[in-house]
Amino acid sequence: MPVFRKPESIINTAGYCGGCGHGVIQRLIAESIEELGLQDHVIGCVDIACSFWSQDALNFEFIAGPHGRCAAVATGIKKVRPDATVYVHAGDGCSYVIGLSETIYAAIRDVPITMVVVNNGIFGMTGGQLNLATTLIGDKTLSSKAGRDPKTMGHPVDMLKTIANCDVAFAARGALYDVKHIDETKRYIKKGFQNQVENRGFSIIEVLSPCPTNWKLSPVDAMAKIKNETEKVFPVGVYVDRGGKD
Amino acid sequence: MAKAKANTDLCKGCRLCVANCPRKAITALETVNKKGYEIIEVNEELCIGCGICYKVCPDYVFTVE
Repeated sequence: MPVFRKPESIINTAGYCGGCGHGVIQRLIAESIEELGLQDHVIGCVDIACSFWSQDALNFEFIAGPHGRCAAVATGIKKVRPDATVYVHAGDGCSYVIGLSETIYAAIRDVPITMVVVNNGIFGMTGGQLNLATTLIGDKTLSSKAGRDPKTMGHPVDMLKTIANCDVAFAARGALYDVKHIDETKRYIKKGFQNQVENRGFSIIEVLSPCPTNWKLSPVDAMAKIKNETEKVFPVGVYVDRGGKD
Repeated sequence: MAKAKANTDLCKGCRLCVANCPRKAITALETVNKKGYEIIEVNEELCIGCGICYKVCPDYVFTVE
């Protein structure tokens, strides 16, 4: 029978709210790194937001740059430490709103880093404000009390399609609402790290994750919302896979 | 046979394991742990050691061995 045990790189408890997807994503990152045998020389870049907690939980080197600038910081690290495994663990507010240009320029430069973007459709740590790129139409947030109205607040954007226009090595979207999709997300994240080992280029993996606290739903209902609503707007799957071409 | 063991000190009472367990072997309790979250209990007779609770748990409560 298979044995399932917490990866050795996780040395502390997860600091997130109950039912948050960040804890699962942190485990998928740690498992992928351990399975590829890279755990001795990993530098993680976290954002000043919920993903900041993974500094305490994981036994890797970490740096947190200014809010939203993770991709730029990771680019710098990879330039001066090309032998290190560099990854970004950031939210959608960081990667798609505040740090959009950093994310796009990391993709244009095709820096061989692995970027994991947690798409929970909201600014989680600041209390649940509207995220212009990922909040769904009609969602009530702290800064859209009557629900998101496309007339004044526009429509959500599938950023992976934008990034797919740049010549990146790998772009994929996973979800966390059931075990099948969690396993699929792990395959994407592992593929992202594998690309980095083979120096193939920029890999971005977006993960549809719940934020039960700010969505004001139970964790189980939040997962059902991803399955029934979010996935319709942001379809899961591989967007770009450049394969062996360099 | 492998069985799931729960370290309920880490539990945050999200109930994702209860909803995802294919054998309904995990029950939600009203007992609270040190942090004040309502915990869960694994019925080892029903557990088949599939590891689904380990995979869905955001707080690394479960070990299957």
